[in-house]
Amino acid sequence: MGGNRQKMKKIIAVILMVFLTLSLASTAFAGGGGPPKGIKKGVFIEVDPVTRTAVFKPSDSEEPMTLKLGESVEPEDIDLNKKVLVSLGKHDGEEFIKSVSVMFMDLTLEKLIALLVVGLIGGLLSGFIGSGGAFVLTPSMMSLGAPGAVAVASNMCHKFPKAMVGAYKRFKYGQADIKLGLVMAISAIAGVQIGIKIQKFILNKWGNAGSNLYVSVAFVVILVIVGTYVFYDAWKLARGGAEVKVSKLALAMQKIKIPPMLHFKRAGVTLSAWVTIPVGLATGMLAATIAVGGFIGVPGMIYVVGASAIVASATELVIAFIMGLWGSIQWGLSGLIDIRLTLLILAASLFGVQLGALGTTYVKDYVIKVVMGAVMLIVAVSRGAKVPIYLSELGFTSLDPKTASVLNEISFWALVTALATAGVIITGAMIKGMRKAKAEEREAAAKEAASH
Amino acid sequence: MAQTGKSQKKKPYLQAIVFGVLSITSYVILFAHQSYITEHYTRGGIYAALPVGTALYFSFLHGAFASSVLSVLGIEAKKH
Repeated sequence: MGGNRQKMKKIIAVILMVFLTLSLASTAFAGGGGPPKGIKKGVFIEVDPVTRTAVFKPSDSEEPMTLKLGESVEPEDIDLNKKVLVSLGKHDGEEFIKSVSVMFMDLTLEKLIALLVVGLIGGLLSGFIGSGGAFVLTPSMMSLGAPGAVAVASNMCHKFPKAMVGAYKRFKYGQADIKLGLVMAISAIAGVQIGIKIQKFILNKWGNAGSNLYVSVAFVVILVIVGTYVFYDAWKLARGGAEVKVSKLALAMQKIKIPPMLHFKRAGVTLSAWVTIPVGLATGMLAATIAVGGFIGVPGMIYVVGASAIVASATELVIAFIMGLWGSIQWGLSGLIDIRLTLLILAASLFGVQLGALGTTYVKDYVIKVVMGAVMLIVAVSRGAKVPIYLSELGFTSLDPKTASVLNEISFWALVTALATAGVIITGAMIKGMRKAKAEEREAAAKEAASH
Repeated sequence: MAQTGKSQKKKPYLQAIVFGVLSITSYVILFAHQSYITEHYTRGGIYAALPVGTALYFSFLHGAFASSVLSVLGIEAKKH
């Protein structure tokens, strides 16, 4: 026990050191990145319906500024003396208000329950497959009334404590490979910087709709390809008596002997850093683009690095912790985290993540792949449904409002289905595994009693 | 997890109650002062330490509470 504690202390010290260096380096190198630029935080002091102007005091300066209301903003939309996020546009060199959203929504009982339910299932999912949750938590918070940036920030701040608890549990179960997690996380943070650069380039060139389209297409293409493969692999394993084999690609990668060579004890592989770094980079780039890096990180660790699904999903929690902490500091610096939302999701997700983590000790390796593949494919449907909307915004096709609203409905319900499906498979597999384990225990006890 | 091999393990009732009371009290205090807290927590810059630190604090406290509640309910990892 003492040795274990010593080991944990050493690991925590290494993580903190790596983290500190990384956050300093990345802040100096990329100027933070993440939080949006064209958005101002502050309070409205006055609004004049006649001239359609409002006096706004930004949080970062003492000087109030007078802003014109954009066409889509009515004087009634301006809440005085409430902290708001203002999205600014420019017309003829003059700034105007494009949209206003109140930063802190009023929390009603319904909203509270909704946050707890989504938090619980999101936690269960990430405890079990190592990632997930963000893809449904962020849109849920937005549909409850949180501004997009606040939803992303608050979700990020809930992700790292949840991942920390999950990673700790799965480390105790002997599943998480801390070293692999660290190597992946460092390269993933670099990948995030590249991802942000690409995003900014697209945003500048094709605007918001173009950026949305790029994100959605990347999301759908990657999720469909990787999700189908994961699902197919799981199906093969389920049919063939669940004999897990290391993929041919991973075996080929293990033959690459370019130094530095790294040995990952829990994953049971020795690999060149030149193999793990690109997997980490891709995870980070994807995390910056589609907000679910785990959907590429976990399959990457399984099929390229050669770890089992159990070790890969556990290690993803280590990566999620480090990246989540780094991201939360970035969002915290911009002052966009609504801690109430963070803590409400956390209240339930800390139960969910531990349930999901212990659930993995009862299931066969392929069940993790089944859940992961299924979730990826359904989430791809959700995002795919939005592609025609972005295409019409860019002027490539025309879409009547009725079809657009149907597509939005499909998108939303696909997310709900993804979460429900995952919840049902995980709970079902866990209950089955627990019953089997109990029966085995009873049998062993009976045998022992008989032998005495 | 070798020590959990014993069939009759004591359930952590006391732990669940202590962490539960601490966690719920923290939640109540925070939500009772939500406007003050949200105002200070979103000032940006060095104030970033507030939301990040609070999230960590709750993850220890509430995480320990959740862990002991699951143990009390008999939901534990498979024994090897």
